[in-house]
Amino acid sequence: MTNTNSQNISKIKISQFIRPVISTLIILYLFYRIYTVVFIESSFTPDIWVRFAISGLIIGGMYALIAIGYTLVYGIMFMINFAHGEVMMLGAFGGFFIFELFKGIPTPTAADPNLTLNNSHPYLTIILAFAMGILVSGLAGYFLEKIAYRPLRKAPRLILLITAIGASIFLQNLAMLMFGPQRKNVVNPEILNRSNGWEFLVSGKSVFLTYTGVFSLILSAVLMILLYLLVQHTKLGRSMRAVAQDQNTAALMGVDVDDVISKTFVISGILAGAAGVMWDIHMGLVNHYTGFLPGIKAFTAAVMGGIGNIPGAMFGGIFLGLIESLGPASLGIDFQLKDVIAFSILVLVLIIRPSGIFGEKLSEEKL
Amino acid sequence: MKNPTLKNGLTAGVIFGILTTVMFLIGFNEVAAKLISKVFSDQNFTKFPQYYYFGIFMVLLGIWNGNIAAKAEFKRKNDLLSSLIASIIGGLIAGLFGLILSLIFGSLVEQQIDVRKYLVSVSPESIKLFLFEKSALTGGLIELGLSIISALAGGLLFYLFNAVNGVNKAKQSLFKNYQSLISSPKTKELLSDPIFKIAMYLLIAVALIVIPRNWGSYWNYVFGTVGIYVLLGIGLNMITGWAGQLVIGYSFFFAIGAYTFAIFTSPEPHNLMWNFWIALGLGVLAAGLSGLLLGLPILNLRGDYLAIVTLGLGEIIRILLKSDLLTDFTGGPRGLQKIAGPTLFGKPFNSDVDFMYLIIVAVLVVSFLAHRLQNSRTGKAWYAINLDETVAKATGVNSFWSKLLALTLSAAIAGLAGAIFASRNQYTGPDDHTLMVSINVICLIIVGGIGNIPGIFLGAFVLKGVPEILREIDNYRMLVFGVLLIVMMRIRPEGFLPLQRPKLEKFVKPVNPEGGAQ
Amino acid sequence: MKNCIQVNQVSKYFGGLTAVNKVDLEVSEGSITSIIGPNGAGKTTLFNCISGYYKPEVGQILFFSEPIHGLPTYEVAKMGISRTYQNIRLFSQMTAIENIMLGQHTRLTNIWIDSILGTPRHNREYKRSIEEAKRLLKFVGLQGLGDTQAKNLPYGAQRRLEIARALGNKPKLLLLDEPTAGMNPQETTKMTSFIRSLRDDLGITIILIEHDMRVVMDISDQIAVLDYGEKIAEGLPKDIQSNQRVIEAYLGPDVSLLTKKYQERKRLRHAVTN
Repeated sequence: MTNTNSQNISKIKISQFIRPVISTLIILYLFYRIYTVVFIESSFTPDIWVRFAISGLIIGGMYALIAIGYTLVYGIMFMINFAHGEVMMLGAFGGFFIFELFKGIPTPTAADPNLTLNNSHPYLTIILAFAMGILVSGLAGYFLEKIAYRPLRKAPRLILLITAIGASIFLQNLAMLMFGPQRKNVVNPEILNRSNGWEFLVSGKSVFLTYTGVFSLILSAVLMILLYLLVQHTKLGRSMRAVAQDQNTAALMGVDVDDVISKTFVISGILAGAAGVMWDIHMGLVNHYTGFLPGIKAFTAAVMGGIGNIPGAMFGGIFLGLIESLGPASLGIDFQLKDVIAFSILVLVLIIRPSGIFGEKLSEEKL
Repeated sequence: MKNPTLKNGLTAGVIFGILTTVMFLIGFNEVAAKLISKVFSDQNFTKFPQYYYFGIFMVLLGIWNGNIAAKAEFKRKNDLLSSLIASIIGGLIAGLFGLILSLIFGSLVEQQIDVRKYLVSVSPESIKLFLFEKSALTGGLIELGLSIISALAGGLLFYLFNAVNGVNKAKQSLFKNYQSLISSPKTKELLSDPIFKIAMYLLIAVALIVIPRNWGSYWNYVFGTVGIYVLLGIGLNMITGWAGQLVIGYSFFFAIGAYTFAIFTSPEPHNLMWNFWIALGLGVLAAGLSGLLLGLPILNLRGDYLAIVTLGLGEIIRILLKSDLLTDFTGGPRGLQKIAGPTLFGKPFNSDVDFMYLIIVAVLVVSFLAHRLQNSRTGKAWYAINLDETVAKATGVNSFWSKLLALTLSAAIAGLAGAIFASRNQYTGPDDHTLMVSINVICLIIVGGIGNIPGIFLGAFVLKGVPEILREIDNYRMLVFGVLLIVMMRIRPEGFLPLQRPKLEKFVKPVNPEGGAQ
Repeated sequence: MKNCIQVNQVSKYFGGLTAVNKVDLEVSEGSITSIIGPNGAGKTTLFNCISGYYKPEVGQILFFSEPIHGLPTYEVAKMGISRTYQNIRLFSQMTAIENIMLGQHTRLTNIWIDSILGTPRHNREYKRSIEEAKRLLKFVGLQGLGDTQAKNLPYGAQRRLEIARALGNKPKLLLLDEPTAGMNPQETTKMTSFIRSLRDDLGITIILIEHDMRVVMDISDQIAVLDYGEKIAEGLPKDIQSNQRVIEAYLGPDVSLLTKKYQERKRLRHAVTN
């Protein structure tokens, strides 16, 4: 009897070591590989690295906005809103239609007989595109919560997840059936032409920073700051944090829980919509599938940062964007496998450290 | 002014108005007309013009609208008049949606503007159909009128079937008769009579042998696919339905089975032309092994995290298979071709009929396996983990190894399905192993009945067989899945055929001969 | 008389909170021990340490001189310790018999291959476990309800089913967490004698957490009192009953004043009437 028990106790100790050991090994290997590729083989010059980094930051900003959406919803309802990527996609379509509409309204002048509304009033166009994108996504978030999730508020998490998957499939296919499977080109107003930008030199070679890129970066940052202020300093933000910590107590304190949850979905929709229109502007292509990959990657980012943790989601998004951009080059693998990097990070983070970098350990159930 | 009658009617009306709009925008008009015309065997619209059938469809929708409005109102206030008012309001609102759509798109058609640049499915024909081949205004008014009238009819029908005493009683007694027939002692006696059982089994066996030979290769293909999905369903059911661990990336194991089989029997890339049965076995083993290895790090994760990890893994393998990185090993985006078919005692066994037999045997074997496991000590341990893992552990179940066993077996079954699938198509490639395959299987077991083997048959048939039979709606298949998932989770999360627990106290006779039958 | 359970200086911390603080406990084989104390005193936490759900940071727990602290719950169950829960935790969708059969999990040996192949071992164990389960159903007074889903059973029946499930494990030690919670006086009396019969007829050592003092005083061989995670008293029922510190733990520190006042009044009244 004694032998079995001490065997069991030592068996348990071994399995506790495996995880940290393997994670350390993986990290060491990655560092080694990066060192080799970057410094020894030096297939890329510094200017190219800068280019990758900038592109990574820009996309990272968009991921961050979407990731915040995931984290807000998870924090308040403990569900993974699998359809959040589709919410972003709908916002992207909203912005796209404004661009298309304005592109089709002629406003000829003497100087330019072919002028259209999107170029004669570019700022108006852009503002309205964002407004539309935000409106569509916000509404999408609102109705998603009201119709699909609210009735299942008390249901086990897996049922909610399956419902969310159903909603995601539904929205994706709805968009495909309505708008067709081909990716559509988004034509930006001239001031945001994708080929215009600033040039600067890095170790002798020129690096290009597009206007659209700068625009996206600044807008992402502004939105993130605004959101942070909202959560920390407004009554709504306080209510959101209260409901996230303890729904019942918040309700007893007079917080309208349904309303707060609804507003949370709307806010996460707004951020996703903004990200969607940014995606339109920067990437120039949109279709029903546009939201799927960014959605999953943003979710990865949210988990990496610690799901439920807003600064964590921001950090995770930017970090993921950078890794995705710099990763294939620095590990010496094919760019096709860019998405594999994101998914691999997802898998590894969930296995090795599910609470994320900044997250708290989840509380145990009461026995 | 929150008049509840108004509200009920408004809600129903808005729902159906949106439904009509969505159907219009996704081009369902023509499909609906076609489906209805099929019922009247007039697919070429010779007896009646297309818009007649479309009209019938809109009328059916309107009746449903009125029905729902009336039901909601009747529940609140047991009154015929207010229910009918609610129905009419519902019809009015939905009809207004129709009117607006007609006016907008009708005028666009009249100005020869084709919206298909943006709304791909809204063709001029589709719009004209919606307008009943009339002008924008006339068509719109017809829509409005039809909506109101059919909603009223729906309300009346509801009242007739639920409130009018005679009809209601007749309905209830019919139901009672049906119930008593099913549970009567005579029926039970018949069902447990051994001779009856043997006769049924013989009948089924004969059917399984004779039918595949005679109904043509199309049906063998369709039902063969259903069979493969039954296999997948039983496999996923073990880990998700019984043990309660949601696995989204199930296609991962399907892919491993298919590719392992393919690699060992295809002339490229490695030119291994091994025996079909050995390659099949290897496929199963490889998949099972991958389940075992994968399970070790991930089965400790919490439910939704586990699900997402499996999703990630499924996507990783799909991307890797599609990339050029592994082309030398796995054929890259083009996949592997010319996979050999099975041979039985040396003779080729690869006609469609033979494959059907193969699939039938596989399904029978795996169902038997699952059935044996379902109420065994192992199976109960799985279900206990599903219901309450902490307490299951406290009761003595080593939940980690138990879950690992479930995952390994699930994976092996997926591997079997994958190998058969690859063999039948004589091809496998990365596009055979998308997320959609995994989601198909999840939908299947959810709709059929989580955990329940007959439910899986039902689910596979509904999800794979019906779209084949109703080819017209194939485009809309995924859309319907999405809606189905949402709706099922809301109204019947345990599926159409919920899992039944075994009756052990009454029906298991004691070993002790003195006790006798209980 | 062997010591069934020996708890040595066990402490359990949750972040900054000390739930159990250097608790010692000795439970001799075949005895009925009650652990009492105000809510939040750490009683269930102590149970959780014994059953293996928690690993105590400090201290040892010995089961018939075998260390069990830190073992996972299924190992502990296998060694012969079963428990019930404060909020009943049955397998709600399973039938009553199935719940008991789960309890027997550690005492059966057939594995998945046996089940698939239908080996004699599987068949034999299956039949035996159903019979045994029926016997246990009868023992707890639930015969005839075996095929009802656990969630559909009335409250008292659910409590008894939980105990039947625990008994399926053929335990040497039974941990009962508030077995009479929510019961009326008749049910409580029945449960109390039932618990006693578990010890008398089956020789099982029992540790209870209880709030109902009549039960505690009635059946306990010894009582341990916890307050704020510490053991503040231990001993025979009559000693605990009059232990000032225990009374204060339940009623508050001013109770000694109340007691004095009450006794003064009693004396005065006595003096007046005489």
